[in-house]
Amino acid sequence: MNTGIRDQGSGVKAAEETLRLIARLHAPDGLEERLQESLQVAALAAPGGLRWPAWLRPSGGWMRSAPLRAAAATAIVAVVVGGGWIVSLRLPAAQTGMAVTASPRGASAGGFSSAGAMRTPQTLDRPLVTAPAEAAPAKLAAHPKGKNGAKGLRDLGTKGLRD
Amino acid sequence: MQKTDKSLTDEARRAEEEQALAALVSQYAPTLYRVAYSVLRNAADAEDAVQEAFLRVLRHRETLGEVRDQRVWLIRIVWNVVLDRKRRMKTRPETDDVVELARVLPAEGLSADERVAAAQHHAHVLACVEQLPAKERQVMMLSAFEELSSVEIAAVIGITESSVRSRLFRARNLMAGLLDHVRSLR
Repeated sequence: MNTGIRDQGSGVKAAEETLRLIARLHAPDGLEERLQESLQVAALAAPGGLRWPAWLRPSGGWMRSAPLRAAAATAIVAVVVGGGWIVSLRLPAAQTGMAVTASPRGASAGGFSSAGAMRTPQTLDRPLVTAPAEAAPAKLAAHPKGKNGAKGLRDLGTKGLRD
Repeated sequence: MQKTDKSLTDEARRAEEEQALAALVSQYAPTLYRVAYSVLRNAADAEDAVQEAFLRVLRHRETLGEVRDQRVWLIRIVWNVVLDRKRRMKTRPETDDVVELARVLPAEGLSADERVAAAQHHAHVLACVEQLPAKERQVMMLSAFEELSSVEIAAVIGITESSVRSRLFRARNLMAGLLDHVRSLR
């Protein structure tokens, strides 16, 4: 058992030794010169081209001042609201009260036509008499011990609730 | 007149920043290269990574004065660059490592056969390291740099020192298991 642990330990040590060997490798010759050259080229290519002026940079300290931050926020709000207002001014006013006209429907080619017939509502020559509404409950009450007597009424009363 | 004074001040400041950057390059380029090489294991890739790291520093050179520990700060930058590159790269085959290690590792007093055998051994160990979980692997790799304390490793990775210790402990255990497993297969 101890031998196993020792083996494991030595294996890990050997592995760490490999990593250490790599960590101790020398940098290639001329690395610094090449890096310096490339940095000089990069610095010349962008000599602070699009940089903010020093007093406007966040590190300049203006962001730490509450009044300046409030002013900046107000300016942003003003720009957004003003922009919306200008856009709304330039939009044409909505047209109101526009009538919708339907074109007369002509007979489509090849279809059926009404042949000029007009539908006229049926005229009534006397008032209509409808049957009294209580006729049905009376019929049920007339047969209380029938197949659907009181039980049927009870069912009718609760069925709607259950459903 | 005021403007001329201001532009002169700007130029002087820029020259100062460039001098500071040049000093950083000459002081830390070898360290950064070794850190980059330990992960990428390719000389050209490692040099590119170091260059990219210094270009990032150049872009933020005005913040150089605010950095407390420039060495750790630079290692952190190159470490992030290297991890980005590594993520985009394909897994390295072990044979590539054998060839590269035989080329770069010191081989004084070794015959050609011994050199190849040593390179094979190291490549095999590195293949096992690659199998470790990312968090444990990173700590194990950085701990191989003798100039980095556990506090500094924690600063580079962005974790606490106790996390570094526990991850290193786990990494060693896992590594022992991996090596044991490979030995039993052979």
